Amino acid sequence: MTASVTAPVSVRGLRRWVRRSQSAHRERGEALGNYYFAVLFVLIVGGIVHKQIAAVLWPAEPNASELAGDSLMLVLAGGLYLALRRLGPLALSRPAASWLLTAPVSRRRLLLPSLWTALAGAALAGTVGGLAVLGHVAARPVPGTDGLLPLVGALLGGALLLVALGAQAGRRWSAWSDHVAYLVTAVGLAGLVVDSAVGAPRPDAGWPAAPLVTALGGALALVVTVLLVLAVRRLATTPNERILEASKTAGTLFDSAYGMEPSFVTEMVERRYWAHRKLSSRRLWSRVPVLVAQDLLLLRRRPRRVLWVAGAATLPALLTHLPAWILGVAVLFGGLIAGGVTAGTIRTDAGNPVLLRLLGLSSRRAIGQRLWVPGVLSGLWYATALTLLWALGDLPAGPWWALGLALGPVGAAATMRKARAGFVDNGLLPLDTPMGSVSTGPVLAAVAGLDVLLLGLPTVVQIAQGGPLSWTGVVVQAAVAGIGMRAYLNATTETDRVELSGR
Amino acid sequence: MDHSAIEVRDLSVSYGSTPVLTGVQLTVPVGAGVCVIGENGIGKSTLLRCVSSLQRADAGEIEIFGAPPGSTPEFWRAVVTTVEPPTWYPGLTAREHAELVCRAHGLDPAAAGMDEALDRFGIASHADAIPPSLSSGQKQRLTLALALLRPSRLLILDEPEQRLDPEGRALVAGLLHDYLADGGTVLMASHDDAFAAAAGTSTVSMSDLHSADAR
Repeated sequence: MTASVTAPVSVRGLRRWVRRSQSAHRERGEALGNYYFAVLFVLIVGGIVHKQIAAVLWPAEPNASELAGDSLMLVLAGGLYLALRRLGPLALSRPAASWLLTAPVSRRRLLLPSLWTALAGAALAGTVGGLAVLGHVAARPVPGTDGLLPLVGALLGGALLLVALGAQAGRRWSAWSDHVAYLVTAVGLAGLVVDSAVGAPRPDAGWPAAPLVTALGGALALVVTVLLVLAVRRLATTPNERILEASKTAGTLFDSAYGMEPSFVTEMVERRYWAHRKLSSRRLWSRVPVLVAQDLLLLRRRPRRVLWVAGAATLPALLTHLPAWILGVAVLFGGLIAGGVTAGTIRTDAGNPVLLRLLGLSSRRAIGQRLWVPGVLSGLWYATALTLLWALGDLPAGPWWALGLALGPVGAAATMRKARAGFVDNGLLPLDTPMGSVSTGPVLAAVAGLDVLLLGLPTVVQIAQGGPLSWTGVVVQAAVAGIGMRAYLNATTETDRVELSGR
Repeated sequence: MDHSAIEVRDLSVSYGSTPVLTGVQLTVPVGAGVCVIGENGIGKSTLLRCVSSLQRADAGEIEIFGAPPGSTPEFWRAVVTTVEPPTWYPGLTAREHAELVCRAHGLDPAAAGMDEALDRFGIASHADAIPPSLSSGQKQRLTLALALLRPSRLLILDEPEQRLDPEGRALVAGLLHDYLADGGTVLMASHDDAFAAAAGTSTVSMSDLHSADAR
């Protein structure tokens, strides 16, 4: 059977045959039942949180400045582009990627349904973004032309998708487009922080200017049309490996959602990041313990991540209008972001202790060494975030920088606990609540690490009370953090055990 | 030293209702090399896993250097096993993994001959690659290089010749031979009699390890 070449077959016919064969194995009404449960799920969740969603998208009164509105648009556009690039954006289901991508079918016809789905998703995301900006910024009542902002958002979403599609095909500018998106997002976040710090003025009644909305909408419609024609023409040239990678991403996201197991996604993101990096071996710094040297090397190799984490120290400034205790808790959470830069090494050891056995270190020595870099990073992060809040006048007088450094051990221990939590235990008994039963495994996995943050309670109380910070307060926090971290280390590790079985 | 490196007495392991090991007896003196042979599914890997303390036996006793195998740092400083494949550290090259292993054991990488070892195993040209990007054969070479680079008294290897080309097999066999000559002990499973002989190990059939009354 090597002489003849198979003639192209119709994608539509093939897909219809696959659907028919699949449904032959299913019980009658099974698909209907699945749809029923999906609709029921959306209705129940929508019924519970529709007021909150409405408050987020369309508050009763506009509450943000023009600067905040513009900045939010930048953050949403940059974030949407980066999300689309991570997703593909053009993907097939895993079975289709395995069997139909290699079949003698028209690639354009095979990929077109995915393009329409992605386009619809991006346009929907853009619409929601446009609606949120309009709802938070525009004075009421919103005039008719301004009401077109969600439509502009939809067109912008479509345009971003089509640009991301071009980047997926491996154009030279794809890496540059990512850098631009990062920059746009960073500028937007900086704008939000500045807005929060200076209290930028509310816009006039006519914001956004009707001619601007119309012009932007028209220009974007033209761009989307041109890009769409080009995209459909070039669709068949999208390289196979890019589609396969995107399909694996979609499959992993599905597995992660279906199995309620976020670690699948974390692991995939980490693996891909390093697979695309070109490294050159460096000597480990011999003046520090060996695992500290390893973490420092890892830190050195993630400069962009460090930059983002440093930038994130400004984010608590966005929350100063909330009750003080929420601000305190939010600052505490930030330590997990900072400590998480090098947490990949802990996840490796917790998931598979083979290398720890090869290194021959006790779990206490290993974790003791691994606590250093996250501790210093989160200490510096806390110090920066608290000092910034103090400088902006959101915190009373006191040595906040010292309190931040004293919180370092809390961030380190919480990072460690979170990274060691491992897979979600779906075998635990569900919890019956008046709203239905809740799986305890994912809930426990979600709070792993957050429980250790309770060691930062003195700081939360200090911020909530609103009084000036004394050195006594710093010493109390330092003592609680230091003793708590030591207790965590002693309780979850052994000097005579290598594996990190304890949490 | 009056005790053996490995002493296995009446070891039994079942998977469900299927017995895999029944009353297995094995003694490996210090400084000796033993290669367990036998067809697939006869229990070679299960035996190695039990000896490495990575699997609990249903019955029987195991002693490594006169003490039960455990998960203590002392045990893992004396014993190296490749029974389980490693999960590599993120963002660390092959060479840096080797340096990490050397430094964790208090060795200076240059004095320990790290670069020579990587060169000998044919991975010097891939020293800057992250291990997950290596081929399966190169990963196997790196794992064996790490295992032989660090100090140990007992090597437990599961089919070390797997995925290696003929040149690689000869190299590993030679290194195992040297390890035994230096006083180390080797327990391995293999399907390659010639490799076992070149490594200087004596072969023993898995079926002969089962006690007579159990058979």
